[in-house]
Amino acid sequence: MMGRGVGKRSIGSWIRFVWLNAWFWTVAPLVSVTFISLAAIYVGVFLVLLRNRRKTQWLIRRSMGVYGRLMIICAWPLVRVKYVDYAPQETPPFLFICNHRSSSDAYLTAYVGCECIQVLNIWPAHVPLMGQLARLAGFLRVREMPFEEFVAAGSRLLQQGCSIIAFPEGTRSGSVALGSFHGSSFRLAQLNRVKIVPFVISGNENIPRRGSAWLNPGTVAVSKLPAVTPEMYEGMTPYKLKTLVRDMIARHLDGQTGQSHVE
Amino acid sequence: MTDSELIRAVNEVFVDSFEIPPEKITPEAQIFADLGLDSLDVVDLVAAIQKRFAVQVRDDERVRSIRSMQDLYNYLILIRSEQKLG
Repeated sequence: MMGRGVGKRSIGSWIRFVWLNAWFWTVAPLVSVTFISLAAIYVGVFLVLLRNRRKTQWLIRRSMGVYGRLMIICAWPLVRVKYVDYAPQETPPFLFICNHRSSSDAYLTAYVGCECIQVLNIWPAHVPLMGQLARLAGFLRVREMPFEEFVAAGSRLLQQGCSIIAFPEGTRSGSVALGSFHGSSFRLAQLNRVKIVPFVISGNENIPRRGSAWLNPGTVAVSKLPAVTPEMYEGMTPYKLKTLVRDMIARHLDGQTGQSHVE
Repeated sequence: MTDSELIRAVNEVFVDSFEIPPEKITPEAQIFADLGLDSLDVVDLVAAIQKRFAVQVRDDERVRSIRSMQDLYNYLILIRSEQKLG
């Protein structure tokens, strides 16, 4: 199953593929165990000393961002990331709207660079240890809570200044296709009048491919586009807003690949 | 209201409530896959249809089987005839 669906490889390509996976799957588990152990002790001490849930959650969220960056570094140099922030002057909190091609998206969102939580589907919330950390950090399990509860929890986070990262396609596309968007996160943004930032990730559809653990060498492009402000979406229906943001992401992907993602 | 008037009125609900371009609203269009509505949009759609046609469809189990615009037209035509009989 190695390299499933990536076509015929040259010998050089095979060597890079094997090297990347041998290196990553040796180093990443060691880094994970070390980092998570140290972070757990650090967070535990912090919690005991300060007894402040809010500050502890902030620490866990930032630690998870650092962990995401470390995982990206573990795949370097055979997986490179090009990050472009098109509006660095904008200030959080934001609702980040990401397209979703691969499980590596969750790590690549470390580039947002601010305190944030993710909106999770069912299975990531049940991954041992990571799922527990996600729950401690206050990640939102949108499929396991009624919409009203999702809005209440999301609103609390935004009011605290914590940004939210959502994947409105719901699941990984596993390809370059852009699926249709679910509107729950957009409704949350409208209710709280927060800026919506399209966060576009491309080039990682095989890093790893859906259903596989093997990474393929390549370059991933990560782009933080200018925000859609509450003034811009004033009076829009949630449907219109999600279509607008989806089209922004699709047009950006079109510009990168030369193929249409706009329906 | 004739069938064609009803269909036109249903299409207007989609244009007015969701700002969907009229050319995308065809009988074959799948409400979720092609028009991009989600479960929350459907709640809004049901409310808009109830208001536009003065019918109660929220608790009708048959609503769950609607997938395409044609399914929706057929359902509302059926509802209208049931109301006439009633």
